[in-house]
Amino acid sequence: MADYFIDVLLDEGRLQAIKDAGLGDNIKYRFAGELKLVEVHVSEDTKNKILKEFDTARTDSRNAITDVPVAFLRELYHQVVKTKSLGDEAVEATLAKVDEIKDLAAKESEYLPAPEID
Amino acid sequence: MSRFLIQRPLPHGGRLVERVVRDPERAKKMIKGCPTYDIKPTLHYESEVPVRNVYREIMSICYGFFSPVEGSMCQAEVERILKERRLLNEWIFPYPLVFDISKDDFKKLGVGSGDRLVLNLKGKPFAILDIEEVWEISDTEELADKTFGTPEDNPEVVREKFNKKHPGWVIYKSLNPIVLAGKYTIINEPIFRAPFDRFWYPPRKAREEFDKRGWRTVINHQTRNVPHVGHEFLMKNAAFTGDLEPCHGILVNAIIGVKRRGDYPDEAICEGHEAVNTGGYIKNSRHLPTICLWDMRYGNPLESLLHGIIRQNMGCTHHMFGRDHAAVGEYYDKWSTQILWNEGIPSFGFPAPPTDVPYGLEIRPQNMREFSFCPTCKEMAYSETCGHEREKLSGSFLRGMVAQGVQPPAIIMRPEVFKVVVKWWKHFNYPFCNEKYVINKEKELEVDLKDL
Ligand SMILES: [Zn+2]
Repeated sequence: MADYFIDVLLDEGRLQAIKDAGLGDNIKYRFAGELKLVEVHVSEDTKNKILKEFDTARTDSRNAITDVPVAFLRELYHQVVKTKSLGDEAVEATLAKVDEIKDLAAKESEYLPAPEID
Repeated sequence: MSRFLIQRPLPHGGRLVERVVRDPERAKKMIKGCPTYDIKPTLHYESEVPVRNVYREIMSICYGFFSPVEGSMCQAEVERILKERRLLNEWIFPYPLVFDISKDDFKKLGVGSGDRLVLNLKGKPFAILDIEEVWEISDTEELADKTFGTPEDNPEVVREKFNKKHPGWVIYKSLNPIVLAGKYTIINEPIFRAPFDRFWYPPRKAREEFDKRGWRTVINHQTRNVPHVGHEFLMKNAAFTGDLEPCHGILVNAIIGVKRRGDYPDEAICEGHEAVNTGGYIKNSRHLPTICLWDMRYGNPLESLLHGIIRQNMGCTHHMFGRDHAAVGEYYDKWSTQILWNEGIPSFGFPAPPTDVPYGLEIRPQNMREFSFCPTCKEMAYSETCGHEREKLSGSFLRGMVAQGVQPPAIIMRPEVFKVVVKWWKHFNYPFCNEKYVINKEKELEVDLKDL
């Protein structure tokens, strides 16, 4: 059992990709089933790496790792789908791109793309 | 008539202050030959970023939000406020409000008591200050400490010594040393830019609007946030307080002023609350989102006192106060506001609650905890009523969701409200206030002025 976790939120598009990656059984439903997410489990060591790389990151009372850059979360979602993993493997693959993520994160306070909603 | 009916209170101090000259010819005569001064923002004493603009205080004073305050305070009045939170005319008031300038500017102006100073805003005549007294703040840090209290002097509620991490303390610490005290009068009414214009209900207009809508009882909701469903339930349920029937109206009053990075933009806050009624979650005829200009001091119990004054002046009968009301950090006990309104805070001059001291307030406090989703009850449930484990919604979780562009479930944030967030996100290229927004806002302010 992993010590920490990161919530990866799923909209309809992501939900299908997670199911296609064979991770459908791990989808969690919150708020009367309206919010769907998967938890990526993170070991103590990997948690420390994340906190070291991103100075805003912290853990909350539920042991969730929060306040990481959006770019990190976006990449983590992609890596979950790619590695078909909800554990350190996905996080390690994400951290392998840490320089790229940091570049994007630096620009995040200037510009974040808005979602297209109707 | 039932003796249990609650009537709309008089303004604080007995009458509404209104110091606005609307006749331009008269205004021109009033300022003829007077020296002028361009209003400058108060800059952070270290980083020099704007932390306050006195124009917002002048607006709130002259339109009566801060009745019975009429201007920049003289030294004796500031000292009395710091000692017992009372004006020289006895009415309770939490904060010193002053028109401060640098020694250099004071020398250049060469004005003194008896002089009339024209205050320009964005290069146009805006208001006058009839100087009654010039005095000097000997130590702005001491003023800042005394304004908010210290653990030694105010052990009932102050838990930590204030410092530069507290934005309200920074405002007082950053003041210029020379105070020009005297009454303000607006002589050229500023025009609010959209979307703020349609939320501008100064006290007289608010009271007239309440009359039009047949609202006798009105409960106020203080906000500096885009509403999520927890806020909506707080508003709807707090409104069941009232007298023989629930409150007729819910007044949302957003404090508009200097922003901190990470806050939602003021535009999204106003329109987000409006979306609650356009979406029908609270029907339009019971709900009125409005604004008040003020650079938040985050003084928790003291801020709640100011909120009580503002909303009583607007005509409210009730005021909701939550945990950590208008607070930042852990300087105050998180229930300080409740302590003030339940029993008083003697060291701040309140041996009894502000509603139970002479020259106090009439507005009724309504202290509520919080609502969150209960998967067992399958509804938004009140923390003190529901006996199940509820799905708590933290601010950082919701912000994280918004930042990722994931549409929050309707049970967390209404789609109409999220649409407003996205609208301003596209406008500012960012969902929250970033450095650029904060700097631009203080340059452009919320208003424009015409030539006089
Ligand atoms: Zn329940």
